[in-house]
Amino acid sequence: MSRLVAGLVLVAVVSGSGCVTPPKHSDYTKFRSDNPHSILVVPATNKSVEVNAPDYLLATISIPLAERGFYVFPVNLVRGVLADDGLSDANLVHAGDPHRLGELFGADAVMYISIERWDAKYIVLATTVTVDLMYSLKSTRTGEEIWSNHQAIVYQPQGNSGGGLAGLLVDAVAAAITKAAPNYVPLAKQANANALLLKGTGLPSGPHDPLYEKDGAEF
Amino acid sequence: MKSLVSLALAGIGLACATGCATPNQKYNWGTYDSSLYAYYKVPANEPELATALAAIVNGSAATHASVPPGIYAEYGYLLLQQGKAEDAAKYFGLEAQHWPESKVFMDRMIQLSAQTKPAAPTAEAK
Repeated sequence: MSRLVAGLVLVAVVSGSGCVTPPKHSDYTKFRSDNPHSILVVPATNKSVEVNAPDYLLATISIPLAERGFYVFPVNLVRGVLADDGLSDANLVHAGDPHRLGELFGADAVMYISIERWDAKYIVLATTVTVDLMYSLKSTRTGEEIWSNHQAIVYQPQGNSGGGLAGLLVDAVAAAITKAAPNYVPLAKQANANALLLKGTGLPSGPHDPLYEKDGAEF
Repeated sequence: MKSLVSLALAGIGLACATGCATPNQKYNWGTYDSSLYAYYKVPANEPELATALAAIVNGSAATHASVPPGIYAEYGYLLLQQGKAEDAAKYFGLEAQHWPESKVFMDRMIQLSAQTKPAAPTAEAK
């Protein structure tokens, strides 16, 4: 895991310049030999105090995974079926055998996501919103991890206001709005995009993508 | 108020999206992600989620585009929860037909639908 982009922190205001190819290149040997076509995303484990974070995250993950070229199992249906089978505790599902999930759903791989942080911190006028996610893709054939990533996205709306009374007011407004209704979804989407799409560390193209098995130079 | 936050935060994604993400999408997802989010936030929003899923299915059919992975099945699941087991099975079948990767799971869901008693006799049978 530490070989990967451990603790890659993108401050919102500089995220534009953060979109460079990461210097590190993951080892795709296991992923390539396993060659998954379909991915089952199970509800995330949650270390934050926001109890709904796993559901909110679930709503963001299908699109980038499917657009990468994989068959992604219907996340809301899977969530319901697991709950009906007495597996609504994500920690139990994550601790379980990927092979068993593979049999139940006919999936090639299982995506396990752990929510490390999903919080907003307020210090006087300063506000920091953080979404920190660990991704682990495991083969249902071997049970082994075939890909992983770690993304921490930090949003600091006060970071760029330029100071002065006007800046102070902008900060105060931003802090109040964020405090009233912090919206983590854009940060979760950014974390997903960074984790899945970046060359060198993201997921290689799946079978439904034209670059399938042709992107060996990048992944 | 809330839209202001979304707007401000969306700006981050936008700034980066132009830098590194691929704007061309394989599928038309409609409002799948935002409708599912709204449903998780307030479960009473289920009719809106069902409408959104139906719109993706119908929209893709109209343009002869592929319905994205999982959408037929997500729609079928909502129908099953409404007690419309027969309609649900139809959509599970469509998912398996369009996405063979889902066949094991969808066969299981069709079986489950057959065991589900309809909530009320449906006049409209297809």
